[in-house]
Amino acid sequence: MEASREFEPKIVAFLCNWCTYTGADLAGVSRIQYPSNIRPIRVMCSGSVDPMYILKALLDGADGVLVGGCHTGDCHYVDGNFKARRRLAVLGEVLDELGIGRDRVWFRFISASEGALFAETVREMVDSLKGLGPNPAKAVWFT
Amino acid sequence: MTVIMNNLVIPVGEEGRTRVLSAFLAKLLELGVVDAMIVPTMPAPGVITYLLAKDAELVRSQAEPFAPVMPINGASAVAGAVSKKPQGRIGALLKPCEIRALLELVKLKQAEADNLLVIGIDCIGTVARGEYKDAYPASNTLPVREACRVCLNPNPPDTAFDGINIGYIGLDDCGCLLASLSPGLDPGIVGVIEELGFDKGDALAKQREATLAALKEERGDAYEEFLREAEAELDGGGVEGIAKMLAACTGCRNCRVACPVCYCRECIFDGDVFEYETRQILGRAGKKGGLKIPQETLLYHLTRMNHMSLSCVACGMCEEACPVDIRLFPLFARIARRTQGLFQYVPGRSQEDSLPFTTFREDELEPR
Repeated sequence: MEASREFEPKIVAFLCNWCTYTGADLAGVSRIQYPSNIRPIRVMCSGSVDPMYILKALLDGADGVLVGGCHTGDCHYVDGNFKARRRLAVLGEVLDELGIGRDRVWFRFISASEGALFAETVREMVDSLKGLGPNPAKAVWFT
Repeated sequence: MTVIMNNLVIPVGEEGRTRVLSAFLAKLLELGVVDAMIVPTMPAPGVITYLLAKDAELVRSQAEPFAPVMPINGASAVAGAVSKKPQGRIGALLKPCEIRALLELVKLKQAEADNLLVIGIDCIGTVARGEYKDAYPASNTLPVREACRVCLNPNPPDTAFDGINIGYIGLDDCGCLLASLSPGLDPGIVGVIEELGFDKGDALAKQREATLAALKEERGDAYEEFLREAEAELDGGGVEGIAKMLAACTGCRNCRVACPVCYCRECIFDGDVFEYETRQILGRAGKKGGLKIPQETLLYHLTRMNHMSLSCVACGMCEEACPVDIRLFPLFARIARRTQGLFQYVPGRSQEDSLPFTTFREDELEPR
């Protein structure tokens, strides 16, 4: 029964304590089903996610990285999500320029009340990564 | 952003421009315009280094303002001297890319501009330090560094600091140098310099502008061509492409030290974050079958691209510093063009341009 076991992407998720992490919690409490491909890491703010963390995950073979923050105007620290947006935009440019592509890195605004949106986002991301296939970095040891 | 400068002509006679400009800088020190002057000098044959001079005589006799060598990016040297509130004014003669890097350091709060008199000087290009030393004194025929051949800023920016710019591009036949004073320059300093009795040089300023415009157009074409070639160097791209390009990296961090805008006192790559235990190393190696050691060299370069490419002034000192000849300059030139283009940010242009990472707009960069 070995035949065609489907590729299951691994997603490292950096979720903001105040919005997306609580949203993920709500998805669980509300018993909304979503794929178990994500490995959530709770951070205090999406603005605290240095691009290095994302790059580290990608180089070590994560198939995707999800960064979740508050909606604009809702940041617990006033403007952390705006700053994260700029940092991730720069990361996207770097990844595109090097031909790695930005499509494995998602940045989404998901509030504490949006458990359903969180679950939907994970579903979408898993589908998208299945389309992309495994991260080629898994096969490059000289990084 | 055009700025009307106060243009003065410094005549160059028999003595030659090196000693004439040195004398002008020495004069500023003597007259108390500055308390110290930072200038390039040559303490040993073919070896250029920066001197912070208190003694005007040292500047007059030993400054080498036209030496086509960048020992380090002078922004680092100056920032080191004015990182805290300086007691007294320090003058510094700097090339365009050094001034632009210095402005980035000021914005990053790594240098104090208040008591700094920045004296910019045109630069048509520098040569590799080692080659210059080996060939000295027959160093005039050496090839200019790649970063300089495609440099779009051969003149110091008018809008970076309220200082003085020394021009020579396009002025070969006038037997003179052009000193342009910024409109915002301290009136006290302007007074002292005007006392020296130089003629006005607005016509020469126009002549220089015209030559500069032509030179920049030529350089612009060379730059585009260079970027196209740089693209080919990536070898198909992707993680594997960039990993191959950087495979020789020994993790020495020389590029970071040489980089004028990579300013953190404690870099995360120097801490114990990446000091793995053997158990972890075996685990990491097991996942890919093996590991390049020292580890995380690619992560280091990719992180630097994210952290400092917005402020990259394309001085090329990173590549100069690399002991294993990694082609860092084309790589960073490409990355910087993209990341800076995203915010239409021009590093080193003006104090009014905020660093993109310190500000934001509510409606931008969507969809994410």
